[in-house]
Amino acid sequence: MDVPVQRVVRPRTLDEALVMLAEQPRSRPIAGGTDLMVQLRDGRRSADTLVDLDGLDLAGVHEVDLGVEIGAATTMDAIARHPLVRRRWPALAEAAALVGAWPIQCRATLGGNLANASPAADAVPPLLVADAAVRLASPSGERTIALERFFRGPGTTVMAPGELIVAVLLPAPSAGRVVERFVKVGPRREQIISMVSLAGRAVVSADGTLHDVRVALGAVAPIPVRARRVEAHLEGRRPDAATRREAAARLQADIAPIDDLRAPAAYRRIAAAVLLDRFLEACHG
Amino acid sequence: MTSHLEPVPGPLGGRHPRIDAAAKVTGSTRYVADLALPGMLHAALATATVASARVLGVDTAAARAHADVVAVLTAADVPANSIGVIFGDQPLLVTDRVRMVGDRFALVAARTAEAAWTAARLVGASLEELPGVFDPVAAVADDAPLVNGASNVFRTFHVQRGDTAKQAKRAAVVVEAEYRVGGQDHAYLEPQGCLAIPEGRERITIVASCQCPFYIQQGVASVLGLPLAAVRVEQAPTGGGFGGKEDYPTEPAACAALLAWHTGHPVRLIYPRELDLQATTKRHAMVVRHRWGADRAGRLRFAEVETFMDAGAYVGLSTVVAERANVSAIGPYHVGAVRVATHVVYTNNLFGGAFRGFGAPQVTWAAEATMDKLATRLGMDPVELRRVNVLDDTRRTICTGQRLRTPVLAREVLDRAVELAGWDGFRAAPPAADGAWRHGMGVSLVLYGCNLHWGGQRLDRSSAVVILQADGSVVVRVGLTEMGQGNLTACQTVAAAALGVDPSQVQVWQPDTTTVADSGPTVASRGSLMSGRAILDAVRRLRVRLDPVAAELLGCRPGEVELAGGFARVAGSPERAVAMQAVAKEMSARRIETIATGWHRTKARRFDPATGQGAPYEFYAMACHVARVAVDPGLGIVRVEEVTAAHDVGRVLHRDALEGQIHGGVVQGMGWGVSEELRLDRGRLVNPNFTDYVIPTSADAPRITIALVESDSEAGPCGAKGIGEPSFIPTAAAVRNAVCDALGVEVDTLPLTPPRLVEALGERHPFAWVVEAATRPATEHEPATVGPRA
Ligand SMILES: Cc1cc2nc3c(=O)[nH]c(=O)nc-3n(C[C@H](O)[C@H](O)[C@H](O)COP(=O)(O)OP(=O)(O)OC[C@H]3O[C@@H](n4cnc5c(N)ncnc54)[C@H](O)[C@@H]3O)c2cc1C
Repeated sequence: MDVPVQRVVRPRTLDEALVMLAEQPRSRPIAGGTDLMVQLRDGRRSADTLVDLDGLDLAGVHEVDLGVEIGAATTMDAIARHPLVRRRWPALAEAAALVGAWPIQCRATLGGNLANASPAADAVPPLLVADAAVRLASPSGERTIALERFFRGPGTTVMAPGELIVAVLLPAPSAGRVVERFVKVGPRREQIISMVSLAGRAVVSADGTLHDVRVALGAVAPIPVRARRVEAHLEGRRPDAATRREAAARLQADIAPIDDLRAPAAYRRIAAAVLLDRFLEACHG
Repeated sequence: MTSHLEPVPGPLGGRHPRIDAAAKVTGSTRYVADLALPGMLHAALATATVASARVLGVDTAAARAHADVVAVLTAADVPANSIGVIFGDQPLLVTDRVRMVGDRFALVAARTAEAAWTAARLVGASLEELPGVFDPVAAVADDAPLVNGASNVFRTFHVQRGDTAKQAKRAAVVVEAEYRVGGQDHAYLEPQGCLAIPEGRERITIVASCQCPFYIQQGVASVLGLPLAAVRVEQAPTGGGFGGKEDYPTEPAACAALLAWHTGHPVRLIYPRELDLQATTKRHAMVVRHRWGADRAGRLRFAEVETFMDAGAYVGLSTVVAERANVSAIGPYHVGAVRVATHVVYTNNLFGGAFRGFGAPQVTWAAEATMDKLATRLGMDPVELRRVNVLDDTRRTICTGQRLRTPVLAREVLDRAVELAGWDGFRAAPPAADGAWRHGMGVSLVLYGCNLHWGGQRLDRSSAVVILQADGSVVVRVGLTEMGQGNLTACQTVAAAALGVDPSQVQVWQPDTTTVADSGPTVASRGSLMSGRAILDAVRRLRVRLDPVAAELLGCRPGEVELAGGFARVAGSPERAVAMQAVAKEMSARRIETIATGWHRTKARRFDPATGQGAPYEFYAMACHVARVAVDPGLGIVRVEEVTAAHDVGRVLHRDALEGQIHGGVVQGMGWGVSEELRLDRGRLVNPNFTDYVIPTSADAPRITIALVESDSEAGPCGAKGIGEPSFIPTAAAVRNAVCDALGVEVDTLPLTPPRLVEALGERHPFAWVVEAATRPATEHEPATVGPRA
């Protein structure tokens, strides 16, 4: 069966796109379509008009004063292969390389991953530990908001109807010896929706203490979350066995997993603890 | 991926290109969803979304009023409203009672597929929900709601051999266990689909994605009240079957046929994947209870097996599945006394049916788990315990009392697999943990009966037609189907070998019920065996007319003619040869009949269904798989690294097709064992998609090492045995045993998903305590609760 859509329009500029979205009733942007096509087909989302973002020149990784800006239409494949991203934001590069499988990565975009707002979206935990911000555009202008405040719940964000993600801003990461990881858990090697995912980032001092620790998890709460209690506890500590154990305990208050068909809550709690422990072990080594 | 016998010259055992490969990979093959005819309508089904209800009424007015709808039919429009393949317990369209999610209320034909499915959703059924039963053990309780008929136990099948109570006294160790073995979806690439083309009110053609055109012919004829001769079924190129297109396609075919009959238009019905996953037949979920005992030396003294098969709401093929399960229930082992009882149980769950292995995989999984438990209790190596008990030429009576033909190669496949896998080295010095990964190795054997069970003997025959063309090329028609497993190529190989021509000269065409006689179903690993034997018979009959012509051209006696290398030649003097083209041309010129039919039927056997004693199958194939796995116990993740598969195949017909079957069997078996889970909520499948019904991808495929143990036997054509099912059956059990070896805990529920493994570790998991800690969350002021072993 086909998707029940009447029209696809192809604006050539961002402004044109914003106008189309504002004027066409029941319209929706489409980027790679890897979420939207599935959801249109099974009725989870609907639209009469699809506004194709392909021609807007929104793809690419650009160095800016404070770090980099990744265009909303940049594919996971492009992110995974980008030398600067791989060097400075390795967790993001790793997450992008773990989205679906390679054919999906060649279509799936960063903007789509964020706008779709799945609690399991793989690009989000690495962006959360990067303290990323999202640049949004609407007919009334642009605004930039912290990614941590972007999600509202499963499938919902703070975006107003007709608003578009233009780019994601990643501030330059802190200097020093940095350990950064992204890991996702699922029942096969590729093409998995994370049962749990974790991105971690810490600066390890010469004396082995951790600073500027950031931990974010996917699929353990209605939205991807930063583990603020864990981060606070770890600041200035050495990740020895006792600290790691305490971190695992505190993590449980940072997350709120549920039982669903992909995994029971108990499993998600345990797996999240294991992922955190392994990240901290890597910081210890 | 290695094979340890090099190809022999000529097409037998070789690797010539598969007949259908190039067309399939270039997209030129036309599947049924690619076929369209002028005036063709699209069918859709209005189905139940609850599993148990009384039907108070079906309202089709809104569906009829929908744009582009041409017809809406209900049970009242069906001449003979019954579709069960063996028993008449299943209506094509329900009248008074819903027994499973997916039961059909009405059929819709419309000008577009979208209109048809939209209208189908507009069919209103007023229902009174009834209590259902969703577990095969719960279903046998006295007070369980009845699903279909007077008892939820449709039938029980037994094997009784020796006195288990007496033998139990000699057992030094006894293992009791209950295994919960989950079902499986076939996950064929191509969903169910067919096209019905009426010719007036006289006759009808069905083009279907299917394994068994003759089943469809019978089903459609009976629903429409037509003679068999008025129903022609042509098998469309079929994108995978695995048993899922054995009996089930008769249901969509009957639906499309009814709509075609009523509207006078061709009607095509293609299942959406969600409906296919929910409503079509599945591998049976089973609960298998064991009580097995062995003496100190490890000799199996007795084995008691009680199995509850979740048949779903209709029997379908469940009784036949139970019969096969019984024969494999204690594996290829010699056991003093055996008692098996397998109950076919009605529930309101998914519809249990045919699936590669046909009951044997579930009971093999249980048997091989029990063997490992016994080995642990006895302090024996699992392979050693199997060696003590395995059948061989000196000890070859199976649990049904049948003495197997020699050679009995169970010990050989065990030895070969174990040696190739490096079992002894692994056990002597298990590899150290590699980061989070721990390694394990496990073994499983299987005893597999080739062809149909005694109960299906009447179907166990096969028809072939061989036509020598005027240019020396050859057309072959058989009654058994190609569904991706390589039957066309196997038949081509047999025909080419028998006629001494190059395989490229032989074209085997998809079956059509008007070209050959009823050959039974393409199941039970019988495709190549039964078609091949019928082809050999047809070639033999063709040669009655061919050899005299060749002899005349060669100047020898007909008895001296041999066919080889593309020539007819004089036996013993290969230089006296005439090309087959010349012989064919001569036959054509003389108007000699160049078409011959062939027939094969299996030998009649004796069997007592009351005791399960006798000869259920004509001959058997043995197999042994050894799995090497890496397990991350922290996350419960299993990676199957290598499967070593040793198979007793008789003689190889086509090496690529054979190896392909083993590769596919291993990967599909692994998927069933570790990740594929049909998750039900009161009979409704909650993961009817391939996002959440997790089949392996190519990235998960292990290294597969193959050892073929060849032998000459009076099996199939040119000595071949079936491979389709034996290649699947042992994998999941070997993987289970390897995972338990790596983890040091027993897991008796299939599949071994990450949550299940972590749960099985229980308090042994270093972070098990966090779950409880979570119920007492730490705050900024209060120190967090720390686990018991800080
Ligand atoms: C087989 C398969 C495997 C997958 N595996 C993974 C996985 O492992 N991990 C994972 O995280 N995801 C996975 N996904 C989901 C999906 O691929 C990703 O979420 C992807 O990043 C979505 O991007 P897209 O460009 O395809 O979005 P689309 O489908 O085009 O759009 C998704 C949503 O975002 C909106 N949208 C798109 N672009 C913008 C924009 N610039 N501004 C505002 N709204 C916008 C659309 O209107 C729509 O609602 C998988 C999907 C498939 C089909």
